[in-house]
Amino acid sequence: MRSVAAVPRSEDQTIVLDVGPFRVRVEGVDGRFLDTLSYFYRDSVRHDGRHVVDYEIRLLRPWTHRRWLRPQAVFEIDGLRPFEPQPLDHAFPMYEWGLNWCIATSAHRYLMLHSGTVAFDDRAMILPGSPGSGKSTLSAALSLRGARLLSDEFGLLRPESLDLVAMPRGIPLKNTSIEAILDFEGGAPLGPTYPNTRKGRVRHLRPDEHSLARQEVPATPRWLVFPKYQEGAEAVLQPLDRDEAFRQLAFNCFNYKLLGETAFRAVSGLVAQVDCYSFRFGRLDDAVERLTALTRG
Amino acid sequence: MLQDPEVVRDWDVDDWNRFLPQARQARLLGRCYHLFGQHGLLDAVPARLVDQMRGALAQTRYVQSQALRELGQVCRVLDRQGIPVMALKGVAYLAAALPPSHWRNLSDIDLLVPIAEIERAEQALMRSGWLPNGEFDSYDQHYYRAWMHEIPPLVHRARETEVDLHHNLAPPVSRIRINATRLWEASLEVADPHGQSVRVPGPADMLLHNAVHLFMNDELRGGLRDVVDFRDLFEHFAQQDEAFEPGLLARANELGCGRPLYYATSTARRLTGLAASDRFLAEVGRHAPALPVRRLMAWLIEQLMSPRRLGAWQTTLADRLLFLRSHWVRMPPGMLIRHLTHKAFRSRKETDAVEPDLPG
Repeated sequence: MRSVAAVPRSEDQTIVLDVGPFRVRVEGVDGRFLDTLSYFYRDSVRHDGRHVVDYEIRLLRPWTHRRWLRPQAVFEIDGLRPFEPQPLDHAFPMYEWGLNWCIATSAHRYLMLHSGTVAFDDRAMILPGSPGSGKSTLSAALSLRGARLLSDEFGLLRPESLDLVAMPRGIPLKNTSIEAILDFEGGAPLGPTYPNTRKGRVRHLRPDEHSLARQEVPATPRWLVFPKYQEGAEAVLQPLDRDEAFRQLAFNCFNYKLLGETAFRAVSGLVAQVDCYSFRFGRLDDAVERLTALTRG
Repeated sequence: MLQDPEVVRDWDVDDWNRFLPQARQARLLGRCYHLFGQHGLLDAVPARLVDQMRGALAQTRYVQSQALRELGQVCRVLDRQGIPVMALKGVAYLAAALPPSHWRNLSDIDLLVPIAEIERAEQALMRSGWLPNGEFDSYDQHYYRAWMHEIPPLVHRARETEVDLHHNLAPPVSRIRINATRLWEASLEVADPHGQSVRVPGPADMLLHNAVHLFMNDELRGGLRDVVDFRDLFEHFAQQDEAFEPGLLARANELGCGRPLYYATSTARRLTGLAASDRFLAEVGRHAPALPVRRLMAWLIEQLMSPRRLGAWQTTLADRLLFLRSHWVRMPPGMLIRHLTHKAFRSRKETDAVEPDLPG
């Protein structure tokens, strides 16, 4: 990881940054964590004045023997510690994961889709999928080839306007996806390696400047593509029946049940205004080419 | 702010940053959204906080519909057995479409059945798919059944809403003895938002239950929400019925709930600006304890409920003291020692930390 000029931070080691529509104040556990945070999100750190924030997150070292012996870090929000402590040098993935939890449990003002989302000239392609579908890796690859990154995992749809709000984050690549992205783009800006996380070996792709700079610009959904990674497969894009698309999208919505009728109407409305496809792919370069061609058609 | 919402027009960044986590933890985000809306103050609220409040309300709507659904299911089973059911607390406010139903969250539903029927009710529900929620050893079971006013909570295997069946508002061995028959006599039948017919306590009993629950049990923490409920319900009923205040006092005397009513009233006045008549306040003041106790309780309540204190050491201390007190008021001293000793030596259940399954 190349070194980056450190972001000026306040005396007490806190940083305020814009994470898509949310503003977060993070009190960092150590210099290394804050440096990592700066590396990924330097462009969206706020330097000026005091801000109203959505989440005030503290990463702390516990006052137990685990402060020194195999040191740990603890995630704190609203004075609560909902999670098990993690190794101190996994502070960054713990922060990312913890922030996801905060958003998932409170941001019901949005319909929250389990999907990657990228935009081509502010027209969005939504890539919903369960773990293993390849949506994160695909979103990463598309963003490396110039698409604007809106999300790799957390699509935020405004039910009243059926548009998507951007929240470009570090994209966690797991195990073999790391090599796949490096094969695809040797100079891809990846963060530190975190071995032995719950999901295996993880490295994050840094969001590009363009995506971060435009994170306040929403995008209009135009394509709904359900990816399925299959080793060695040819890239095949097939039109998908709208009812099936509805079912699969509802299934991939985190708060579908919670939002009840609002969710039903939003998903119906969305499916009616986009082109729906299922997409099988085995190689990233084929996949990116095929999907980009779709947006030009 | 709860007393005079207009103050938010003068709030600065730091005030708003204190407001959000506290309101979130106190489960009052939805309440505040309504309060701001009612007073035309939403334009003064930062947009991202409006979004947070709307998110909280969406979640509230969901748990409310789950609660009403669960209520319907339980009533169906118990009706077949000829067992009368009365909704209590949050689910009662919901069923009767009282003001808190616009914003009130619930994590479970509380229901009253006659003491003679409670075991039969439990069995009927368990035959229809409800299961005890959580692990309880035989000591816990005994504690719950004989000493508390609860059988262990139940949850249906296909759903998530917890059902707590009670046969009284205060345990039989506590220092307050309520005659449950009186509760049934004063109860009312209402049609809930789903069109089902539901029995709820009379207005005075609703207030007294709130007071007893809050000041006789161990849930003072997070109790600001309950204090707000007390204020909202009191003012609603007082507006509708001139005779409400004297009626409430008489009922408190009748049921022996004067002390909790005093605490509820004084706390609601101090923290939420409860509008009660001077006459009422003077009368209820007669149930106050001796001055030193009054002062200590006021301090304890302030520490736990006043929205300033996330994580402060005083909060922890007050919390511990109130936990002890809550047992004190529920159990005779001999039982108390035995109970606390047993709890202390039982091996603790595994860590409280949550490991949710999450994206990423």
